Amino acid sequence: MGFPPPPDAPAPPLLLEDLAGGSLALSLGDQSTLLFFFKHDCPTCDLTAPLVERLAAELGPAGLAVIGVSQSDASESATFIARHGLHFRVALDAGLDTSAAWDFDAVPALVLLSREGRVLEAFEGFARADWLRLAERAAGQVGRPAPGLEAPGQRLPEHRPGCGSRAHDPEIAQRLAVRRGAARLAARRVRIPAAEDPQEWLAARGVDDGLPVVPPTEARVLRMLEGTSRAAAEVVALVPPDLAPATVEKVAINAVMAGCRPEHLSVVIAALEAACTDEFNLHGVLATTYFATPVMIVNGPIRRAIGLNCGGNVFGQGFRANAAIGRALQLVVRNVGGGRPGEVDMATLGQPGKFTCCIGENEEESPWEPLHVERGFRTEQSTVTLFAGEAPRAILDQASRSARSLATSLGLCLEAVAHPKLHGYGEVVLVVSPEHARTLAADGWSKADVRRRIQEVTSRPLRACLPDEECAEGIPLEALPAEIRGPDGRPRPEVLALPVPKFRRDDDVLMVVAGGSAGKFSAVVGGWVGGRMGSIAVTREITR
Amino acid sequence: MAPEPDDERLILDPTAERKPLRRRPASRTRPVAGPIGLVDISKPRGDVFLDEIERLLRERSPGLELVRLRKPTFTKPAPADLRDEVTRRCRVVIQALAD
Repeated sequence: MGFPPPPDAPAPPLLLEDLAGGSLALSLGDQSTLLFFFKHDCPTCDLTAPLVERLAAELGPAGLAVIGVSQSDASESATFIARHGLHFRVALDAGLDTSAAWDFDAVPALVLLSREGRVLEAFEGFARADWLRLAERAAGQVGRPAPGLEAPGQRLPEHRPGCGSRAHDPEIAQRLAVRRGAARLAARRVRIPAAEDPQEWLAARGVDDGLPVVPPTEARVLRMLEGTSRAAAEVVALVPPDLAPATVEKVAINAVMAGCRPEHLSVVIAALEAACTDEFNLHGVLATTYFATPVMIVNGPIRRAIGLNCGGNVFGQGFRANAAIGRALQLVVRNVGGGRPGEVDMATLGQPGKFTCCIGENEEESPWEPLHVERGFRTEQSTVTLFAGEAPRAILDQASRSARSLATSLGLCLEAVAHPKLHGYGEVVLVVSPEHARTLAADGWSKADVRRRIQEVTSRPLRACLPDEECAEGIPLEALPAEIRGPDGRPRPEVLALPVPKFRRDDDVLMVVAGGSAGKFSAVVGGWVGGRMGSIAVTREITR
Repeated sequence: MAPEPDDERLILDPTAERKPLRRRPASRTRPVAGPIGLVDISKPRGDVFLDEIERLLRERSPGLELVRLRKPTFTKPAPADLRDEVTRRCRVVIQALAD
């Protein structure tokens, strides 16, 4: 409310305890009341206490209620009372809720309330003028002359600063803020029985991914929500398969469980937006028996700001931002969307990235423009690109010293994605290590040059890509365009020699530079069914 | 006093809240099919109760395979080997207590 409150403001309720710890019901509004907020170790409170005692002694019998409100504990308060020989009633503001409600910065804080419970005077700290005025008005309330506060020849100090209100102690302020903030959280509260280990309890409810989750308490969820400027109640997306609305709050709850820090939340939110688009087709990605799962690639300044690993062991363990952000998305899909293995998630083998898979592009060691810039964003924007991918697969080339030789290796290895005979394939992510990127760039090769060479080196005659007696897998006949098929449905003889590259389009090879500075290895993340029938990579800007 | 917000035991439901956040019971078997485990939790006279259940099951579903099992004590959770035996040998479990 701000202190001092405006004249005539109604008094907040007094939630106090007596010195024995019992709750104290104080009804304001029967008589004029003077409140004296203090703490036991405040010299200005020591200066003030005798003046309050004086007013209580002089005006109490005439009907002025005087209540001391102590921010200290019972025994400290008792010492303070004894030290000053106080006779007025002293109550404890044990939880500091009342002090917080009045919102003063310092003690002592004095408040004079009218018979109707409205504020007549309020001040904090000590000023002689404030006290003389308070004595006048308090006396006026009970129809008495103002008692003299200064003995002859003695003058009260003009000014003394107060001491900080305990409601502003960092630890207490945070607890009070949580208590106030918790009211805006809409999620159902669940109390874990006293006899149960919270982690075991959560695991038994199936809200985990097989590893322990952090219990999403109100305090943790509120701290998480500080990571976004969005309202807790805002719906981020309808999450497949149940198409359940995921509010910012629900995302925050799952982010807590995943181990995120508040600064990770905006990445999780943007990733969820990307996942729940028609293009990404999360329902299909979940339901398939194939390996696909959301693979997150983060670009832009946020990578460094949140400590997202873009370098050595980029797909590996040991980096909280990567681990927790990827995991949070998976938990939202599981808990809010209802996508659980064995139910809608019908993966035959799955892959470890279904726990978590989030990498940053190593933009600093890339000779090329980063992925998000290629996809239409500005360098200074932060984005997350979601790709429905399998586990990364190693590409080894320690021998190539020219771009052409290395790009040939990349193409040969990429041909094996899913099946070497499956040409006309959709998107893959080629993760180029910094060493490989340097070899390619040293010859002046652009990403487009690399892609062209991959298509060139993977091109096989259509004949070699079709199902045959040696190997029944290959491009399905029904997938071939009608115009190249004869009346029997088989490709016409004259097209059998036509070269077919691995990928439908050069741009189906998404290229990012990531990983540690040393090591002549790259990786390919194979996709699922590409194109309109399957999943297409989606990039979203990350905004706080 | 209001519950403390940093209370580790008061959590926010991470789901879409379409179902209670409870352990879901296993699906029912219909018709009654074995093997059925009859687990005595070792409270006094639990055996009397289970004997009666066994008699009724044998009377109504002749040929039903029944497995009698017993927890060492009702004061502690079933030990791992007993849980393992239950999952290995039984399709359905009737756990009974009497007092």
